[in-house]
Amino acid sequence: MKTQKDIEKKKVLKLSPEYTQSSFTWITSLTLTMIFLLNCYDFTTQAIKPFVFSAFLAYAVFTLIQVIITLMIRRDLLTTGAVRKSTRRLGFVQLLSIFTGNVFVVSFAFSLMKERKTPEYTFAVYMVLTQFFIISISALNLFKPYVSDTFLIAMIILVTIMVFQIVATILVAKYVTHNRTERWMTWIAIPLLLTAVTGNFFALLLGYGLLMKGRSTDQSRIDKWDTMWGKITRNTTSILGLFFIIFMFSISVCSIFTFDYSLAIENNYGALLLEPSIMYPMGTDDFGRDLFSRIVFGARISLIVGFVSTIVPAIIGGALGAFAGYYGHRTDNIVMRLLDVLYAVPGILLAIAIIAAFGANITNLIIALSVGSIPTYARTMRANVLMVSNYQFVDSARALGSSDFSIIFRQVIPNSLAPMIVKATLTIGSAVIATSSLSYLGLGVEPHIPEWGNILKLGSTYLETNSYLAIYPGLAIIALVLSFNFLGDGLRDAMDPKLD
Amino acid sequence: MNTSTERGNELLCMIRDSYEKMHQRNSYNWIMILLGFPVHLFLFIYFVWKKRDRTYASLIEEVKESLIAEGYKEKLMLEFKDQLIRKYAFFGQQVSEADLTKQAETLTEERFHKTVEARANEALLQKGKTKLTYSNFFSSLITKPLFFFVTLIPGLLMYFFIILYSNPFVKYVFERLLITVFVVIGVVILVFSILYISPFEPAANIIGETATAEQIAAFNHLHGLDLPYLSQLWNAITGILTFDLGASYAGNEDVIASIMKKFPITLTIALLSLVMAVVIAVPIGIISSTRPNSFFDYTFMFIALLGLSVPNFWQGLIFILNFSIKLQWLPATYSPQNWLSVIMPVIVLGTALTASVSRMTRSSMLEVINEDYIITAKAKGLNKRQVLWKHAVGNAMIPIVTVIGLLFGGMLGGAAVTEKVFNISGIGSYIVDKQFIPDIPSILGGVVYIAITISLINVIIDILYAYLDPRIRSKIKQY
Repeated sequence: MKTQKDIEKKKVLKLSPEYTQSSFTWITSLTLTMIFLLNCYDFTTQAIKPFVFSAFLAYAVFTLIQVIITLMIRRDLLTTGAVRKSTRRLGFVQLLSIFTGNVFVVSFAFSLMKERKTPEYTFAVYMVLTQFFIISISALNLFKPYVSDTFLIAMIILVTIMVFQIVATILVAKYVTHNRTERWMTWIAIPLLLTAVTGNFFALLLGYGLLMKGRSTDQSRIDKWDTMWGKITRNTTSILGLFFIIFMFSISVCSIFTFDYSLAIENNYGALLLEPSIMYPMGTDDFGRDLFSRIVFGARISLIVGFVSTIVPAIIGGALGAFAGYYGHRTDNIVMRLLDVLYAVPGILLAIAIIAAFGANITNLIIALSVGSIPTYARTMRANVLMVSNYQFVDSARALGSSDFSIIFRQVIPNSLAPMIVKATLTIGSAVIATSSLSYLGLGVEPHIPEWGNILKLGSTYLETNSYLAIYPGLAIIALVLSFNFLGDGLRDAMDPKLD
Repeated sequence: MNTSTERGNELLCMIRDSYEKMHQRNSYNWIMILLGFPVHLFLFIYFVWKKRDRTYASLIEEVKESLIAEGYKEKLMLEFKDQLIRKYAFFGQQVSEADLTKQAETLTEERFHKTVEARANEALLQKGKTKLTYSNFFSSLITKPLFFFVTLIPGLLMYFFIILYSNPFVKYVFERLLITVFVVIGVVILVFSILYISPFEPAANIIGETATAEQIAAFNHLHGLDLPYLSQLWNAITGILTFDLGASYAGNEDVIASIMKKFPITLTIALLSLVMAVVIAVPIGIISSTRPNSFFDYTFMFIALLGLSVPNFWQGLIFILNFSIKLQWLPATYSPQNWLSVIMPVIVLGTALTASVSRMTRSSMLEVINEDYIITAKAKGLNKRQVLWKHAVGNAMIPIVTVIGLLFGGMLGGAAVTEKVFNISGIGSYIVDKQFIPDIPSILGGVVYIAITISLINVIIDILYAYLDPRIRSKIKQY
């Protein structure tokens, strides 16, 4: 009898999104705290680094509160079956951790504060978070000897946008439900869509969601949107992945105005190989260039190469796979056997061969990475098309006299896209790794451009004395790739009909 | 004496059966005709000459006349017309009368022809004869020992082909190998063409900027670069297949010899990484899948995802920083005498593979655990351990082995980066070093031989599967 009760208790805890997210949050937060603790003591000089140590203290405090909240949620769930209002109010305390930059605790605080979370609420919250972090990262430039000419005006615009977005978030929290919203909310949606030009795609998603819920009468469309994004936004890791990707994208856009490119590329012999400080948050390299600015500018190249070298083969491979799968027999045989030839050469070796032939620059890099991944997309698409073209709706379209062309583009391809999207998301990450690996070998982006692989290549020569030159760009690569992988896993879970 | 004739007869019968089966596939039919061309040529002339006995043709005429007399054609015509009118009415399309008649006529002709043939064949069967076609004629001859011995020499290739294909498993292996050969040749063409259309001039890079036109021409002549595309391509293909790619552009060393010198270390490290990946990843995947969504599961899957996201070269650098520079446990660069120096490259190269294999094992296991036969096994009263090890793991491993084969290929390709970080002179870093010139035979040789190795590994895995997996075995047996 007791075991029965235990199982039920476990089930209640497992089914509660707050409890699982809370556990996840305190574990990650504790890990970060530990990392700060380990790094705040300098073993060679036997001294405590004051900056890292204060960061450790701040993180430790919030981690402690997080553990207490977790225990309280657990108690609430086991006694009453739901999280109490008083516990939810503790979210406001955790909200303060936004000033420590602990995105895990902040995102948990937002989700704890609201009981019924719509996808729009989550988008709104992450939209504000993205904006906040962009402004604070850009504000670090204030400690530099000089800032770019557009810095002030850009910052004013960014702050104005953030204020507007905060107001919008409060309205969204109040007036948006799972299946509809007030009609006047659409007037907020339009300026929100405009704020997406800063690269903040959460604003785009939110604006679109509001427009649809406010204007559309097609309930099934709203339901579909809500379930699909609901699954992704409830998955903490995948929404955090999406957050980091959008943040990186947004900072690449905003850095055009708020960062000074000359700090990243021009030699400054007065600041060679400086340790990290408030003026140079990640130190400087052997030419006196600011590593932090270089990494921020490097994000742009990684994202461009990653996206383009995923979209191009996805379109080419997808089209080839769709035709091979739909027409079958001889077409299938010829196309797939030709692609087998491409498939037999490992992607990175083919890329090396192509770059050896045409030289190392960004265009050739994109071509080289694209060619190698065509066959995998073709195979994925072909397998789906083979399955989909046996469904009854395809037969009925054929019976109604549709042409092959229209059947392929109207019926078959839209219904076999889901696995392609998942695959593409997961391969952007490997494209980012491949880009930096090739740059590291001297075969990728031209050496004078600040790209993560290039920065790392330079840093690897100072491994013994200035190891931070190699560590930080590597962390940036890992964070971006990990985000794509988390998002891809979340998308797979959301799109897999088997899990419904 | 008696047994040997019996055995001979058996062989001939087997050849006949296999011929009849293969005859149904158009492509095999053409290959057989091509391989046994002299035999088929004589036989066909003889067949046409002999076929003057025209029972079949006269029978067809007879059936045709009787059907027309019955008014069968008019009946068909009316039927088709009616169907067409109703079809167009349904779709609301307008069609002229002449068009309608024309369509109905073609349909009628088609159907009439079919009916006539069917009836004629039926009549033939009733008389106890079959329609004499060339293939029937051939397979009736094949069982006669005299015919077989006479045609053995000119038709040797064809008979060999038929015997090879009489065993479905041998047929599968043979076709798989044949495809591999074509893929390898395709790879040579692909890589060579890429290097051929390169705008760079190796001659100018090697001799230097002061090179005169004569020097460049002499260099190009020496390495066959002045030949037309097709003959260069032919040289490359034969070079790859006969293991003779000549000398490299820079340093004038034998390309094959240097590739062979560098291959073992790359393969050793890749194989050790593979062993490490399997030993670590498979148990983790199985344990994770038996407790889905537990703390253990989440932690390991997070670590696995992290392992997939770390770039090889960064991991290598961090390892060198910590274990070689700070702690001084392991040497930073590889040296063949010191086995300790192989540990870090193996771990770095194997991380991504370990991560993918453990994720794959977990998802494959989760899929298998929900299958009906697992529920049956549980219902039989087997305990958890028996169900897991006897029924679940074996079936879950089937897709994983294929994936390991494919990933192993990627690992051989990705070895270039790891080799550069740890200063190992393997095949990967060899290709990277040679690409700056670009040294065409060296790059071509390196890339193609790696591709061949990967293809062969995948062939072996596929063949092993065909042997072990009953589902694939039964699929192979279907023609």
